[in-house]
Amino acid sequence: MRGPRSNPAPHLGPVLAGLATVALATVAVGKGPPPRWWAPGEGRVFPQQLDYANAQGSLRVLLAGEPVATKGHPFFEPLGSNGRACVTCHQPADAMSLSAETARARWDATGGKDPLFAAIDGSDCPSLPQAQRASHALLLNRGLFRIERPWPPKAWNGAPVTPDFSIAVVRDPNGCNSAPGHGPAAGNISVYRRPRPVANMKYLLAVGFPFDPKQGYALPLDPDDGRMQSGNLMADNRAGNLRLQMDDAGTTHLEFRKRLTPAQVTRITDFEKRVFTAQQSSRQGGALDDMGAKGGPAHLRDSEPGALGSIGEPVWSEYAAWDKLSPADAARLTPEQLAFRRSVARGARVFRDRTFLITDTAGINSRIGFGNPVRNSCVFCHNMSQMGNDVAPGQVDLGTTTMPFADPWPDLPLFRITCLKAPHPHYGRVILTMDPGFALTTGRCADVGKITLQSMRGLAARAPYFSNGLAKDLRGVVDYYDRRYHIGYSEQDKQDLVNLMSVL
Amino acid sequence: MRKLLALLACALPVPAAAAETGALVRYVACPIYRDADSGKKSGCWLADDAATGQRWDVSLSPYKPDWNYGVLVEGRTTAAPPDACGAPVLEPVRTSRLYDMPCTRHMLPAEGYPGRRYKLQGRYIDPLSVARPVPPGPYAERAFPIYFEFGNDFLVYQYDDYLLDRAVTWIRAAKPKRLVVTGFAASRPETISGQVIAEPTELARKRAQTIAESLRRLLPGIAIETRWEESAPPADEPDADGIPGQSQRRVEIRALF
Ligand code: HEC
Ligand code: HEC
Repeated sequence: MRGPRSNPAPHLGPVLAGLATVALATVAVGKGPPPRWWAPGEGRVFPQQLDYANAQGSLRVLLAGEPVATKGHPFFEPLGSNGRACVTCHQPADAMSLSAETARARWDATGGKDPLFAAIDGSDCPSLPQAQRASHALLLNRGLFRIERPWPPKAWNGAPVTPDFSIAVVRDPNGCNSAPGHGPAAGNISVYRRPRPVANMKYLLAVGFPFDPKQGYALPLDPDDGRMQSGNLMADNRAGNLRLQMDDAGTTHLEFRKRLTPAQVTRITDFEKRVFTAQQSSRQGGALDDMGAKGGPAHLRDSEPGALGSIGEPVWSEYAAWDKLSPADAARLTPEQLAFRRSVARGARVFRDRTFLITDTAGINSRIGFGNPVRNSCVFCHNMSQMGNDVAPGQVDLGTTTMPFADPWPDLPLFRITCLKAPHPHYGRVILTMDPGFALTTGRCADVGKITLQSMRGLAARAPYFSNGLAKDLRGVVDYYDRRYHIGYSEQDKQDLVNLMSVL
Repeated sequence: MRKLLALLACALPVPAAAAETGALVRYVACPIYRDADSGKKSGCWLADDAATGQRWDVSLSPYKPDWNYGVLVEGRTTAAPPDACGAPVLEPVRTSRLYDMPCTRHMLPAEGYPGRRYKLQGRYIDPLSVARPVPPGPYAERAFPIYFEFGNDFLVYQYDDYLLDRAVTWIRAAKPKRLVVTGFAASRPETISGQVIAEPTELARKRAQTIAESLRRLLPGIAIETRWEESAPPADEPDADGIPGQSQRRVEIRALF
């Protein structure tokens, strides 16, 4: 078996051993402990505050404004034919995403009968025998859902996009890029992606500057309200606003054959914009909003979104106060808590200040003129205060899905992209990728492998990481960057970054 | 350290061109990255003019090189000492990436040079949350230039976004009837460092279309006409920083009343 449980990083060892029990129990809110899993159509009231234990401590979900009765609410009701609701894959306990751990727990609890495992995208391919666990391996091992995109690409309004590259299937371990009705020849491409958290939405929708400096244009306008779009939704940015996103989610994930009504769109949007989530307490460090720190979702809820950390509140300065704990405060902590808090504060500085050479990363080293290479830190890309996503539209090719930088995962499909006009500035004319990302939206070979930066909050609740689950835990994230950019972090730097990310 | 650098500076041969500051230097070369480290964006870009054997510090270009490709360097000599990056400084300077000229990537260690600590300065824009002051009238026909790197229609970050933001702020206040957006390309062939270089004529059209698209997003509803002309002559405009080639590679946004 692969996945986070099989090979826990050393520092997580003792916690993970106890996780199986913790994961299924719920931190009590109110009287009786409601189940951790939110089942579609169960009709619970979504309260203003929910707390969920996880391996690193606990996550808090805040709902701004009044509680929401989920009975009849389109985010929570199974709208389509497969019994799923939006909440199926956007679970409060998992920071409004879904961890691979939770997927496995659902499989075990339901014998694979949960609508989560619906053939359409909760299996590696609908053409596989659905009753077998192996047919859902990508979801169970890596937390991935199948995403089917049209080929050649289409714009949000269905308009054809003429790609400047051709695509061939090199390897199709699941059948969904070559079985009858599947694959580029049949007019579609299947890639596999993690659910992105549906929380802290005002940050993902915020528009900081009127330009997309990576694409070299002013920001596109929203077809619904004529305002500029942030460009920060979805791995491939195929949806520019929440309405387009939920139409896409409805017809694919929910197999909902009708259009969402304007009233349903309004209710889902209202809910999405009111949910905030972040880690609230740390197993090793205690309360995250203690002794001047501003961890937890309340600060997120109460801050103005869209600010650049470099000109406003520095990214992860939430933990700056822990850098200079007074001797009196320090004396009130256990040695373990004190050490952990100092490590988190150092981690925030490593994130912002420890520079390395960023190379061959389209979106940063090309076409925009920062230079290839350019010396910078994690905060160069993860630059928005409080959230750590990109203030500008965040389509960047880190190499997480593309060779030679990605791991050669045999269970994912591999495509050969041939650029028909100019070669790609870093890969050349031919590119091997497991997910072309943004290029499936723009049709441009220069955009192959670009994945929109996501939120960095609630990470502890939603492993694995990166759009394709490349990093099984937070240490895996740091190790990926260390290899990718030859950073040379010390063991201490790595642990500090992991500790920081565990409390976001 | 300072002393050492000063000594090093003295030891460097004084280039003939540098003696005369403000002289225009133009050549094609493979860029060299010097891994100087004074924090983010502080590394150095160097490029050798093969004809003179002179290595120049071209780091102050708004659009930096890619170490895998050649660059067209255009800049003016200065009297600035070579102590940031270890070579005399061109400023203002432009480095256009030449994607059909592959280069061997080459990185020098810092060798004691600090590079330049990054500072937000020059042509950058404020976030949208900061209101732009309304430019004073009276408003009459006016043209705004936007400049490009050689061979490119890409909006240069912290240069063109600034120029475009400034134009749009004025246009919003002045409310002209329509805009005529004209693209220019430096399509007349020239021999530089033994290479014949010329921009493709269709780049003039692409530049006009790129800027027109951004204007449609920034000024929804305004009437925009696009035109293009090849063989652009150089013009002496302040935002081209006295670099003739830069002034040729432009789009002009003309506001008509
Ligand atoms: C089967 C699982 C599943 C279901 C059900 C589902 N989603 Fe998602 N959701 C995903 C995945 C996977 C992604 C990431 C897709 C991508 O990046 O291409 C995602 C992304 C999103 C995003 C983008 C967030 C961001 O940061 O970019 C939003 C918003 C969202 N979903 C809302 C919804 C809504 C509303 C519904 C119900 C109408 C819904 N989802 C149902 C799996 C699901
Ligand atoms: C060159 C830009 C860039 C830099 C520098 C960068 N990142 Fe990222 N980061 C991205 C992109 C793009 C993604 C999305 C990639 C994906 O999902 O495949 C991402 C995703 C992540 C995620 C995954 C979040 C999730 O929800 O799965 C984490 C965690 C992260 N980065 C941490 C870091 C750390 C730590 C550093 C410094 C070592 C760093 N990043 C430096 C661009 C960058």
